[in-house]
Formats: sequence, structure tokens, C-alpha cells
Amino acid sequence: MKFKDRFSFSGTLIILILGVCLACPWVAPYDPYAIGGDIPFAGPSKAHWFGTDDLGRDLLSRILYGGRISILIAISATLIALIIGTLWGVTAGVRRGWIDEFLMRTADAMMAIPQILFALIALSAVGASVYSVPVVVGVLLSPTTARMARSAVVAELNADYVVAATASGVKRSRLIMSEVMPNIAPQLLVQLSINAAAAVMLEATLSFIGLGIQPPDASWGTLMLQGYAKIWNTYWFVAFPALAVTITILAFNAYGERIRVSLDSRRSSS
Amino acid sequence: MTKVLSVKNLSISVPSSQGRATVVDDLSFAIEAGKKVGLVGESGSGKSLTALALMRLIKSPVQIDAGQIFLGDRNVLSMDMQDFRHIRGNEISMIYQDPMSALNPIMRVGQQIVESIQLQSNATGRQARAIAVDHLASVGIPEPERRFDSYPFEMSGGMLQRVVIAIALSGEPKVLIADEATTALDVTTQDRVLTLIDKLAAERGLSVLLITHDLGVAAQFSDDILVMYAGKLVECGSVNQIFSQPVHPYTKALLDSRCDYTIDITKPIKSIAGQPPRPDNRPSGCVFSPRCEHAQPQCSASVPPLEFIQDRYTACFRAEDLFHIGQVN
Amino acid sequence: MRKFLIRRAASSAIVLAMSVVLVFVSIRLLPGDPVLAKLGAATEVTPEALKALREEAGLNRPLLAQLFSWIWNALHGDLGSSYHSQLPVAQLVSERIPVTLELTFFIILIAIIFALILAPLSTHRPGGRVDRIIGYGTSMGLSVPGFVIGIILILVFSLRLAWLPSRGYVPFTEDPVENLKLMILPAITGGLTATPYLVRYLRASMLEIKQSSFVRTAEGKGLSDRRILFRHILPNSLVPTLTMLGLIVGYTLSGVLVIEYMFGLPGIGSLAIESATKRDYAMIQGVSLTIIASFILTTFLFDILCGLVDPRLRLDKGEKSEV
Repeated sequence: MKFKDRFSFSGTLIILILGVCLACPWVAPYDPYAIGGDIPFAGPSKAHWFGTDDLGRDLLSRILYGGRISILIAISATLIALIIGTLWGVTAGVRRGWIDEFLMRTADAMMAIPQILFALIALSAVGASVYSVPVVVGVLLSPTTARMARSAVVAELNADYVVAATASGVKRSRLIMSEVMPNIAPQLLVQLSINAAAAVMLEATLSFIGLGIQPPDASWGTLMLQGYAKIWNTYWFVAFPALAVTITILAFNAYGERIRVSLDSRRSSS
Repeated sequence: MTKVLSVKNLSISVPSSQGRATVVDDLSFAIEAGKKVGLVGESGSGKSLTALALMRLIKSPVQIDAGQIFLGDRNVLSMDMQDFRHIRGNEISMIYQDPMSALNPIMRVGQQIVESIQLQSNATGRQARAIAVDHLASVGIPEPERRFDSYPFEMSGGMLQRVVIAIALSGEPKVLIADEATTALDVTTQDRVLTLIDKLAAERGLSVLLITHDLGVAAQFSDDILVMYAGKLVECGSVNQIFSQPVHPYTKALLDSRCDYTIDITKPIKSIAGQPPRPDNRPSGCVFSPRCEHAQPQCSASVPPLEFIQDRYTACFRAEDLFHIGQVN
Repeated sequence: MRKFLIRRAASSAIVLAMSVVLVFVSIRLLPGDPVLAKLGAATEVTPEALKALREEAGLNRPLLAQLFSWIWNALHGDLGSSYHSQLPVAQLVSERIPVTLELTFFIILIAIIFALILAPLSTHRPGGRVDRIIGYGTSMGLSVPGFVIGIILILVFSLRLAWLPSRGYVPFTEDPVENLKLMILPAITGGLTATPYLVRYLRASMLEIKQSSFVRTAEGKGLSDRRILFRHILPNSLVPTLTMLGLIVGYTLSGVLVIEYMFGLPGIGSLAIESATKRDYAMIQGVSLTIIASFILTTFLFDILCGLVDPRLRLDKGEKSEV
């Protein structure tokens, strides 16, 4: 991958968002939990860039801290989806036969259940927390990753270099680890970025309907839920967290798209 | 004789790594009323693009750079597209290469003819259907009434090509272009479809431009022959002159390379050495010179003009001497 | 056509069965005790009372037996009764269905209308300015969560302009005008969420169809651009898009849950959220079954629609005919 592709505008934006949110204890101007720091529902001002919430807390600080939770959940969910999905898809693609059939039909069945519904079921059973949400979201995102990994592996296994290597007696498992996996890595990176976007969206949605992160913890989704309840008082309480979520999802999707396009153009030019 | 269709200095180009490459280069020819003209050449010679240009079906990134196309005395290329639409399908129409994909797969074949009929007349649905059934019958489709309601996937290639012909003729055109109309069909069907076009052309006094890479088909069908090589017209004349006494070395080579089982199976088939040049890498001078066994230094120095030699037009510096050598042999 | 339907129905049934099992098993296998949930954390329970309750609920039987008896009952229209209100789940669910049905119908309608306008505009000049703007728009649309679209709409149309109500529901039979007014914002929210998916697929398949030789034949006939678009390009592009539409309805159903919740519509979606919040497992199971079944049914209906548009799909083996 070229340098230009990796550090595009969207890539820079992602790094910026990650950096600012993860460094929130040093970046945030106020304590996000300090109640009564200022008058409630104050509009954006020099002291409070994004205004204050219903309890007079600084909204910018709350969004930064909320972002840390949202981002950490997204990252862990993405990694979980990557691990489960890759194992799932690679197993299906390598073994083929009935194992493949079973694994892929299971993926179909999972994808037939609306994601939010599946998350509702799981979260109501285990209870929503900063630990269960990423696991549930990660599991939910794994079937698409599995599908992608499977088709990539099948394509690679049929490629000439693999056929030639197998013919010359290279062991299959070694071949998969040393040749096939590095070759599907770029596609996995695309999937990783798209999954991150989907994870941010899913977490926000779940928290927005009250089944994700619970107060006093607050992710972007939780903030939006609180803001939405007070939408008749102020608009910025709901608008700023919504903006944060949307920009983050856009950045991840745009980055994924960018890598995909550069992969496609490289493939078609070679 | 009146010319129904004439093409003057037509040039067509496609995008290439070095800007644009000319694929049809300064092509001129004319078709007289009621004549059948065969346009032959290898694939990539520019013959199909010429056909599409006649129908104004050339689309970006391919483009017409220069030239005029006259239908009667109207310049087709400078016409407003809205006006040309009334001519297209009505005065000039076309039969396409692959009948399997030339028809809308999810529309009944009869409906696809009706569509064309209703463009030209205010026939009601029922009248148009009756006319379409007549058309289907005239192109030799059995049980046309029933076939009207068939979908393309329910019919064979030969039958589909008949439907395509029926569509092409439904506007009662004066000029019919058949672009490799029989190539995708098997040999026996090929012959039947060709005979059908021949018959319909004779009945209706159509002028036909038959585009093919198959010299046998061209010889069997045409009055006149145009030979194209690498975007250029290299020789044209009546079918007898071209086939019995070819002058241009390319035409000659093309005739020699043809498998003709009827003549002599012990005689080896000659092939033309080398490959046709790519459009972005055309040789200087005569485009055929690098492959020509009679080439001389002047051939690659300048482009030979199309000249009237021995009762046909040909673009070869050595046409006169080669003709005499041919006579001696 | 019959074989086509049977084949589709069979594969739909398999996916339905698998996902029902998946839902059932995940509720039972996940940690968290349904009986405890039923009793609520507040009450003190003796182990004996817990055991009696388990037996009563049939929870001490083997998982497979539970699954089969649940499916058996479900097939007879009995989805059990709510842990909370003790009312039959089937009754509670069926009361909510009309709302969701109406909302989903409008969402799909809006998405289709938008897609049918935007995709042809986009493919008119591929790579042109309009195409690029629509392309950016769809990329944006794919990244904006449905509820954010809803929030924007409420901020603009309810708060600022005060044109439309933002919460509540009135049955169509009681007050059609009010019902439609209340449906507008939720339907547009869902419609806008589904539109980008549809536009992308429709655009891609239209571009492909535009290159095909039968479109050239149609042009060669001298047909007008509009007729070529509506009679040749669009119908052929719709076939793959309709199949996609089934899947998009799946995404939409996810969205419907949230939309009903945020706009206070008493449909299946808000019922699902309520019962999840109350940990009412009998309800969750019943609601899930309803939602999954309706999703699969819609996919099936779209498959039939595909068959109606494309005669090749209706083809039964052995029917492929003569000459």
C-alpha cells in the first residue's frame, strides 16, 4: 500500500479522533461528572464550547470521555469480529465440504436476524456493560467478516501460486499462514475499517435505546439518549454527540472505501 | 445509379495510453440503391465500429473524429439527435452480432417488434400485434401467433436472429446493416439466415451492408466487396474482380489463408505472417507493409492512395506490377 | 413457476428454522436466569420456590424438549404468556403488528421512490457532476445512523418549523389524517436510511444493463431515451435490486426498532425494546419469531416479485423449450 493511501484525510481524521478521545483526561477542559459546575442548558460559549447539559456539566468534556468509551468498545468489538470472523471464514474456505456448508449457512441465519434484535436478546440476557457490549457487537459483526474471509481464501487457494506451491509439496497449513493470510490482509484491513464504522453505529444505537452503556458511564449513544430526552430544552445537547458519532463513522467508512478503491485499481492495473 | 448511403472520410478513435488511437482512418465508400455490399476484414479492422457509426451508436469513450455520412442527401452526423431518431430504425436499421444478447431478455419477442412498429405508425395495440405477427411470419418463424408471446430464452439462436431481422425490417428501412449477423450461429443456420436476408432484400429492394470476417459468406452474398485492414480501406470492387483477381497483397493473402475444403485438401493453408498492428501502434506508410511479402522501401515511407486500377479501387503502390505478376502466374 | 416457488419457500423455511433455533438457544445458553428475571431482583426467593417455578415454566426439561414444545406451540399460534403481564404473547404481538406494518410499508415505498429518481439521474451521465453529488450523498447516507437522521428531522420539522408532531400514534381507522401526520417523520427517517443501499445497487446494475447489446438494439430501433430507460434498462436492473431489497428490508427492520422507539410508535419494535428492558424472555422470543418470520416472508415476497419481472426465473426445469 502506498503512503498516500494510508495517510489520507480520512486516515488523519481517524487518528485525530482516536487521539483526542483516548487522551481525554488531559484534553478535556472540565470534569465530565462534576454536577452543578455551571448553569444547566447553557448554550455554546467561550467557557463551554459545546454548552452544558441538564445538570450543568460541560458537554465537550462529556463527549470526549464518552468518545473514549465508544472508541474503546468499537476497537475491541472490531478485534473480536476480526478474530472470530477470520477463523470462521478461513476454516470454511480451507475445509470446504459440509463444514463449509454448515458454517456459511449459520452465517446466513445470523444475518437473517436483524442486528439490533439479536443484540437486544443477548444484552437482556447477560446485562449491558462495558464488557458485554463489545462482545455482543463483535459477535454480530463476525458473519460478514467470515463471508469476506472465506471468499478471499477460496480465491487465493485457486490462485496459480498456491496451486504451484501445493504441487511442489509445500504443506497446506504452512502455505495458509505464510502465503495466503498475508495476501488477504489488505482485504481484511478494508473489512476492519468498515467493521469499526458499524461497531460505532451499533453501540450508539444500542445505547440510544437504553440497552447499551448505562449511566453513570456514558458513551456517545448514552449522551444522545440523554440529550434526546431534553430535545425540547436545547438542541446542542443531542446535536453535538450525534455529530461526533456521524463524523467518526464517516471517517472509518471513507478510509475503508479508500483502501478498497486503491486495492481495486492496483488489481486492475496489474 | 443513385447512392443511398455514402461515407466520406470517416475517422473513429478510441482512447489509448498515448492519447487517442485512430481505429477507422479516413474511410470512404458508397452503397448504391438495391446493392449488397460486403465489408470484410479481420477482427479489429474497424468494420464493426463503422457499422455503429452509421447508426450513430458510437458512445464515449469511442468517438467520431471526422467525416460525413450521407443517407440520401442528408448528412446524418450533423443532424440533431432528436431528428435522427426518426431515421434510425426507419430508414436505416441494423442486425446485430449476437442474437442471444441483442434482445431484451424479460420482454416478449412480439412486444419488442410492436415497440418498433408503434414508433412509426399510430397502430393500436391489436393492429400492431397483427403487423408484428405478419413480420414474424415473413422472416420464416413457424407458428408466429404463438411465438409472439415467447421470451428470448425460449428460442434458439437462429430463431432469435430472425426476430432481430423482423425488428430491423419493421420500420421498412432502405438500408440494412448486418454486422456479423451469422457469426454466432451454427453453420446450417448461418446459411438459412443468410438466404433469408438475401430474399428479403430482393423483395424489398433493400441496400445491404454485410459486415463479416468470413470471406465465404461475403462472396456468396455480395455484389460489391470492401476490404478493410487496420482501419483502412485497402481494396474495393465487384465481387468477381476481388475474388478472382485480387490486386492488393492483403486481399490476396486473406483469400489464400481461407480454408476451402472444396478445392484441394492437400494444398497447405497459407497464413499471413505476423499480427495486425494495434491501433495505438500503427506502422508508417502502408499499414500492411510490415507483413507484406511484396513490400518495398517506399511502402513504409508514405501512405499509398486509393486508386482506380484494373477496374477496382486499391491502395497499393505496387498494384499495377502485382496485377501483371498475378496474370503471369 | 410452481417449482420456483417451492424451491424459494423451502430455502426460506430452512433459514427461518435455523434462526429460530439460534434465538432460542442463545436465550437459554446465555448466562442470566429467566426465572430470576421473572421474579425480579427485589424479591427474596427460597431455593424451593425457585425450583417449583422452574418446573412450572418447564425450564428443568432438556433444552431440546423445550425447543420442540415451544416450536410445536408456536405452530399452533401459542407463543406462551408474558412474564410480566401474564397476557398471551401472541395477542400482545398481534395488537402491535399493524403499526409496524404501516411504518415498514411507507419506509420501503419512500426508499423505492427515492431510488427510482436518484439512480437514473446518477446513471444519465456516469462520472458527471450529478452522479458525483449523488455518490457523495449515498456515502454520507450510509454513515449516518438512522436515529441521527430522525433527530435532524425532529429538530427541523417539529422544533423549528413546528409542522409535524414528533411523538405518538393514532390508529388509521380512528383519524387517518392524524395517523399519516404522525407517520411522516418516522417513515422519512427509515426511508432515508434505506435509500443509499438501494441507490447503490440500482445504479450499479443500471450501468451494467446500459452496456448490454439489447439496449443498443432498442436504441437502434429509434426509441426515445425515456422509453429505453423505462421499458428496457429499469426493468432489467430491477431484478438484482429486488433481491437486494429483501436484504435491505432486514436492515430496515433493525432501523424500525429504533425508529418506533424514538418516535413513540407502539409497534413490534418498541415492544421488543420494552421486553428486553424488562427481561421478559417469553415476549422476546415471541417478538423475535415474529420479526424474523416477517423478514423472511418479505424476502420471499420479493423473490416472487423477481419471478414476475423476470420470466427466466419462473422457468421450471424441463420446461425449456423447442427450436
